[in-house]
Amino acid sequence: MKLLLIVGIFSIFCVVLGTDNENARLLASKTILNQFLVEDKDLTVQYDIYNVGASAALDVSLVDNSFPDSDFQLIHGSLGVRWKRIGPSYNVSHVAILRPKKPGYFNFTSAELSYLPSEAATEPQLGYTSAPGEGVIANFKDYDRKFSPHFMDWAAFAIMTLPSLGIPFLLWRSSKSKYDGARAKKSN
Amino acid sequence: MKLIGAFLALCVYLASGENCQAPQVTSQVYTTSEVHVSTETVVIITFSVQCKNGIKDLNLYAEFDGRNLPASQVIDSDQYQVSFSIDHKKLPAGQYQIRFFDEDLFANLRKAQRSGEDTASIQGLFTIGFSHQGASHGPWIQTEHVAVLSSVLLSYFAYSTRNQLQS
Repeated sequence: MKLLLIVGIFSIFCVVLGTDNENARLLASKTILNQFLVEDKDLTVQYDIYNVGASAALDVSLVDNSFPDSDFQLIHGSLGVRWKRIGPSYNVSHVAILRPKKPGYFNFTSAELSYLPSEAATEPQLGYTSAPGEGVIANFKDYDRKFSPHFMDWAAFAIMTLPSLGIPFLLWRSSKSKYDGARAKKSN
Repeated sequence: MKLIGAFLALCVYLASGENCQAPQVTSQVYTTSEVHVSTETVVIITFSVQCKNGIKDLNLYAEFDGRNLPASQVIDSDQYQVSFSIDHKKLPAGQYQIRFFDEDLFANLRKAQRSGEDTASIQGLFTIGFSHQGASHGPWIQTEHVAVLSSVLLSYFAYSTRNQLQS
């Protein structure tokens, strides 16, 4: 009985602590959608922002400074955007396409988020997205060797096998036609 | 009576002044072209809107395939961006249209969505069309398989011809 009472009080305590206050609360994730990270090939970064709070988040800005110009080129989309309002229980997603300039290890770190948690708020709330972690950007040559169709290589191979197949075949053909010609003459 | 009419006209004019009139849209669209580059097909639409009545800083929403996507504004630019990801199979190659709404028109759309009405009839502010070339999985038959197949066929042909000759 006492245990039940303690468990009951504890759970009420947890529920009270767990309920959001009236403010907005944004959770943001950053993911790299690529199956393979390759030098000079598109790198797809997706940012998802979820409002798990009870009210709308205002003046939301997402800025990602973690891709230096020396290592990445921005192809499509933008790394700094803002939304006027993200309603409660809403989510938005944002995608950008980059191209790695160099192969090697790269640590993908978080992007920065700032928003006003309520209409009355004056100070912006700052936050970070999740970080995808370290990734390996493969050399283009290695990727190409593994995945490209190699049409020219196979065509060259076919041409190289032609002598070893073609010469015996032609020899047989010429002797066969001579033999058939001789046989026809003989039977006549 | 005339005064009332003039007042109403003024109200209509002022009210319409808040919304974008005759928008001119320039857009750039990116869609995923290779499956290796992304596990889901991604569509990014970057666009800018010129309103005839010079309104800037619009609050725009896009609607695509039943999904409502708020448009973001690029910081330090007058461009907007809408982006979403969708499963490769759900977006095959083809031509698509994505509708854009301002606040008032979006409220109409939401009302229709909530009441389960057909949303295709709701008027939007403008539409952007794009063509998706499809996320390619690579060539249908890999060249190694073609090489193996042709060598098997060639050896079969040679073997059967030899047997024929020897019989």
